[in-house]
Amino acid sequence: MRKILTLLVASTALTAVIGTTAWSAMNAAPDGSPRPFAAIWQDATQSLPLILASDDDDDDDESHGSRRDHDDDDDDEDCDDDDDDDDCGSGAPNPAPAGTVAPPQNGLFGNGAPPQVQVN
Amino acid sequence: MKSLLATLALTTALTLPGLAMARPVTLTTTLNSYGGDGAYLALYVTDASGAYMGSLWMAGTKSKYYEHLTDWYRATGGDTAQVNGITGASVGAGRTLEITLDLADALFDAGYTLHIDAAVEDMRDSPNEVAVPLTTAGAGTPVTGRRYIASFAYDM
Repeated sequence: MRKILTLLVASTALTAVIGTTAWSAMNAAPDGSPRPFAAIWQDATQSLPLILASDDDDDDDESHGSRRDHDDDDDDEDCDDDDDDDDCGSGAPNPAPAGTVAPPQNGLFGNGAPPQVQVN
Repeated sequence: MKSLLATLALTTALTLPGLAMARPVTLTTTLNSYGGDGAYLALYVTDASGAYMGSLWMAGTKSKYYEHLTDWYRATGGDTAQVNGITGASVGAGRTLEITLDLADALFDAGYTLHIDAAVEDMRDSPNEVAVPLTTAGAGTPVTGRRYIASFAYDM
């Protein structure tokens, strides 16, 4: 029982200290002069510039959950028309290459050998 | 022994008609040296009234370019299911595409026509580049295309 009381008192004291600090930092005096803890906050906001995380497009391998990036530096899977890879999904899907599925049942084909192709 | 013979006779009787209903046909297409990128080619068949019956081959794997095969695209609405399993790479200038297909006998001497539409990036589209009646007598006879195809022939 004593242990519980001790823990409760300690946590309450810790909360009070943190809360007081935060409250002080967020409330300036009416005359504009900062309060003791707020002075730290005020100085920090004035002296430290805001630094944004890099947003350049130079990365080539991290898509962060999206299917693919769309920068212009790589040579695969972008949306331009000059590459030989997949397009961006607009329109009909690309057909299945020969050999991966059977030819369509359009009455033109027999049930014999699969198509064979050769380019000379 | 009698049952074995009967089984063999039955399987032979069932198999022979199937073999007789189709035959391997080789389609040979040679392109001109037109000085451009690889050509997309759509090989398809129409009946005696000109109605689209089906596709035999698609040279070119990207569906976004199929609209340039204008007659084929108009007939199919660009439905890529029409060429699933019968699609290969586009064909370079001066190259020869040789396809061997197991085609139904009913296609020959029955008023069907084989068409080829062609398209090349940054060059003029060429629908109905070749239109050749499918007849047994016409096998092995080369025909010339209008723009990109130097010769086309089918052999049985």
